[in-house]
Amino acid sequence: MSAIATKKKERDVLAISNKSNFIINTFFWFYTAMCIIPVLLLISVSFSDEQNIRVNGYKFWPEQFSLEAYKFLVKDWTPIVESYGISIFVTVVGTITALTVMALYAYPISRRDFKHRNIFSFIMFFTVLFGGGLVPFYLMYAQILGWRNEIYVLMVPMFVQGFFVLLIRTFFSNSIPTELLESAKIDGAGEMRTFFGIVLPLSLPVLASVGLLCTLNYWNDWFLSLLFITQDGPRTITFRMLEALLNIQALTANSNVYSALMAANPKFQMPGETARMAMAIVGVGPIIFAYPFFQRFFITGLTVGAVKG
Amino acid sequence: MLRKSNVMLLAVILTLAVVLAACGNNNNNNAASSEAPASSKPAESQAASSDAPSAPAAADLKEVTLSLTFPGTSPKDEKKVEEAINAYLKDKINAKIDLNLIDWGQWDNKINLAIAGREPMDILFTAAWNGHANNVAKGAFLAVNDPNGKYGNLLEKYGQGILETLPPAYLEGAKISGLNYAVPTSKELAEQGGIIYRSDIAEELGLTAQLDAAKTIKDLEPILAVVKEKRPDLTAIHMRDGENFNSHYFAKYDHLGDGQIDGVIMKTGTETAVKARYDFPVYKETLAVTRDFFQKGYINEDAATSQVQPQDALKAGNTFMGVFSLKPGKDAEVANATGLQGKLKQVYMTERTVSTGETAGSMLGITTTSANPERAMMFINLLHTDKALNNLLNFGIEGEHYTLSGEVMSPTDNTPNYAIGSSWMFGNQFLNYVWNTEAPDKWEQFKAFNEGAKNSPALGFTFNAESVSSQASVLNNIRKEYDPGLDTGSIDPAKADDFIKKMNDNGLKEIIAEKQKQLDEFLASK
Amino acid sequence: MEQASTAATQPHVKVKKEKALNQGYWQKYGVFYLMMAPALIILLINNYLPMLGTLIAFKHITYESRSFFENFMNGEWVGMKNFDPLFKTSDAWRITRNTVGYNVVFIVLNLIIGVGFALMLNLMRSKFQAKIHQTVMFLPFFLSWVILAYLVYGFLSPLGVLNKTIFPAFGIETITFYQDTKWWPLILPLINTWKGIAYYAVIYLAAIIGIDKEYYEAATIDGASRSRQVWSITLPLIRPVIIVMTMLQIGRIFFSDFGLFYNITRNSGSIYETTQVIDTYVYQGFLVSGNIGLSSAAGFYQAVVGFVLVLLSNFVVRRISKDDALF
Repeated sequence: MSAIATKKKERDVLAISNKSNFIINTFFWFYTAMCIIPVLLLISVSFSDEQNIRVNGYKFWPEQFSLEAYKFLVKDWTPIVESYGISIFVTVVGTITALTVMALYAYPISRRDFKHRNIFSFIMFFTVLFGGGLVPFYLMYAQILGWRNEIYVLMVPMFVQGFFVLLIRTFFSNSIPTELLESAKIDGAGEMRTFFGIVLPLSLPVLASVGLLCTLNYWNDWFLSLLFITQDGPRTITFRMLEALLNIQALTANSNVYSALMAANPKFQMPGETARMAMAIVGVGPIIFAYPFFQRFFITGLTVGAVKG
Repeated sequence: MLRKSNVMLLAVILTLAVVLAACGNNNNNNAASSEAPASSKPAESQAASSDAPSAPAAADLKEVTLSLTFPGTSPKDEKKVEEAINAYLKDKINAKIDLNLIDWGQWDNKINLAIAGREPMDILFTAAWNGHANNVAKGAFLAVNDPNGKYGNLLEKYGQGILETLPPAYLEGAKISGLNYAVPTSKELAEQGGIIYRSDIAEELGLTAQLDAAKTIKDLEPILAVVKEKRPDLTAIHMRDGENFNSHYFAKYDHLGDGQIDGVIMKTGTETAVKARYDFPVYKETLAVTRDFFQKGYINEDAATSQVQPQDALKAGNTFMGVFSLKPGKDAEVANATGLQGKLKQVYMTERTVSTGETAGSMLGITTTSANPERAMMFINLLHTDKALNNLLNFGIEGEHYTLSGEVMSPTDNTPNYAIGSSWMFGNQFLNYVWNTEAPDKWEQFKAFNEGAKNSPALGFTFNAESVSSQASVLNNIRKEYDPGLDTGSIDPAKADDFIKKMNDNGLKEIIAEKQKQLDEFLASK
Repeated sequence: MEQASTAATQPHVKVKKEKALNQGYWQKYGVFYLMMAPALIILLINNYLPMLGTLIAFKHITYESRSFFENFMNGEWVGMKNFDPLFKTSDAWRITRNTVGYNVVFIVLNLIIGVGFALMLNLMRSKFQAKIHQTVMFLPFFLSWVILAYLVYGFLSPLGVLNKTIFPAFGIETITFYQDTKWWPLILPLINTWKGIAYYAVIYLAAIIGIDKEYYEAATIDGASRSRQVWSITLPLIRPVIIVMTMLQIGRIFFSDFGLFYNITRNSGSIYETTQVIDTYVYQGFLVSGNIGLSSAAGFYQAVVGFVLVLLSNFVVRRISKDDALF
């Protein structure tokens, strides 16, 4: 008991007054609420009755509770599951490949004894400074590679991002002791073995952080889909959500599920507003549940990245 | 600073770049060159053997796949119908068809991308109101009747059926600088703006008589007021950019070609002085009424940004009324595409007119990326002449997607799985069967509809925008900023003053002067 | 980057030995080139070949041929003509003003609020609570612009909470946000900060935590007040991080987050006056108008001015404090 008391006393030297602490706490609870409330609104609307919403507007609590929107989505669940599959594939394969490719590039340019490290660093760095713009980029993939509606086009453009490579390089050159690499060499390990056996395991913090950013970029990307994907192509869940936002009709396609609904009920109205929000909830679900877990790695990783490149 | 070895390295990388670039292109060239002889050879032999319009023997033709790109939502049974079409075409022209539907909301964007990206397409839907002239100026379409073209006069060689069945006015009206860059669809020629409403709901609210008597948009006000009051869960009238009271078919502007470039005459008038839409009284009157409707909450509140077509809005079941370009039986056509059979009725609200825009209001073009233009023309020719193919493409497989008795189709359980609602896009609409919910004499009505329509003073004239293309694209950007908001009543009509000022500052006058010059020349030569 | 430049001034190897050494060099370092090959190929596709494509901005491209490459080669050189619609109208001014203006506001907000949040989180007594706040703050950061567009729509749409619930309570009339230009200079910074602030706060917080406690203890003994300590210890010690983070943003001042300006505004034309930025203009020109020349011209303008601005800002930082320059 007394041990704790002394510890507390020690800390008190640097601690703030009760009043300030209270103000800060209150402020942050308020801000935290601001981060959550919009999501709650979405959930509330998705569980509301369509007619009621169309008349009375969105409410933070459903005035008339209804599962119609979800029932509507569940009736035609295959495209949603498919989209989930595509999103997961793109994210997992994309992130792993991107990390590998970037780390492989970052390692040589982190080695002080590599004589071309300058020029290769510059080649990478220049892409951060200057780009060709949207039109040539589009033409490259669509015309020269011909990857319209191909799943690769959702992954390859984000394989190498200059900023991430420079981040990894900084970590390699600052945090991997040169002596370690030299001793590996004396033991007769080749560069590849050194890289995979020693460098990568030691670089988990930065890899986790960059990997997480890549994962986010892949999962949340919709722009590549907007450019390259038409109706026959692979549609990620994020893109499907965008389509639903722009045109709720995208949810119905021309399926007989929809017409069966209409036939069964002559006064049928599509739960447009609510289904749209339900779609958003379905799409965002995994992120909401997964992110608090990832977020921890992210913070540790970021602190590494904050070191100057 | 660069050392010798570094320079070497750079050189190596640059060489690699060039090699890679060349590889990429080689692929394309190879693909093109390997297919071209295959398709041109039978074409030559066919052309040499006879000039007769009979279909070439399929056995002489190497099998190819043609893509047909048009706006719409992919139906569930797309694959099934494609297979049926392929089986049918096997003996006719030995081609396979790949239907490529693009959502209406995405259509403009995706087509611009596809054209710029040189996507290998064969047949592409196009229309005067859909930037046809602009795309022709870019070189996106092959001229179909250019005897000096790379493939010769395709229309003469493989489109005899089209020349026989399509009234010459269509091809004449759709010409750009003397050539056709797409084949117009044979359909109704006249157009008449109006609305389509939910007759079942109108009945319920006791509005039917009032609706059928409505003559002007102002007459709609009391009706919409009742709908708004009694059915607040419905959108009383759905609008969006291009589908509103100020669209060309409703306000009767004749854009003299590309519908996105301002500078119009009235289709209903006799005047041939080209002016900005703003300078016609109908413009401000329409905006004021629409604004009033918007403020009273009759119009969907997201009208300015909505990508939902009126037809889709009706389909969703929460819309009472939509703005449409009408023709006989349009209500039944829409009903069949939306599953609202017997619940829709139309009301004509404008004069019936014919202008150049309608002759080119729905066309199929052959793109310059097509590897098989000859075969594509054969296919278009079949759409104009072959009843079985035309109906297969439009309505699906007999016995599965519809049942037929005589010329009349009845829906089946599977009908919604192939309801593309695009019958006005393909070839000759007069070949279509009619649904049992439609008037059996629909095609007679079409013909009657075409007769006695008022001709626009500029009928037959198409503006060539090439000399003012830079101003046109600027104006188009400005248009996108103001039109959707103004036309749907979402913003104050007073903003129209800013709009016209901005357009005047950015070259509207030059465009109008150029339009006037070309129109005067056309009229003088007539 | 600095270490790199020292490496470049290594003593030259004597010419005589060069050949023998080179053999050893390739044996030793050859594998490095192999390791870099995949990324180099991607860079070529993603970045370097498209850079050649900027020449489209100076050409009149038509589509007679099936291959874009041929169309490009056949295209006529038109000089600056593609830039006319941009600079002869008010477009260039508007999109530049919006792009740079918003970015300046974003940078300032990210800096002030980011550092402020970091300081407060650091001072908070309950580390457990601080963790919770950090975690929740990250929620918007992890959501895509598409989802955020839904959230914002839930508030701003005509059926949204603001118009149907909150405004009526205060007797305010309905505001059609997606048609009304004047609200967006307020809404966009709000949303951008809301989405991104956790990232900046956490980075600054990490820097603050890294500061040796002894500084504060000594200051406390000297009787320095808490706010005094923040000014004289915390801020100066995290200055390098602040400068790097701000520099990174300044380097991108000519580029916008496309998702913010496209999705959140629902690409509504009526509000372009205050929402259109270079990125959305390029997109609009390319996809909506199909005007590849104008779009490339705007893209080229962005790339070149953006590039110059990075160099310039780096130069300025170099003059002020050499150590803090990016390169």
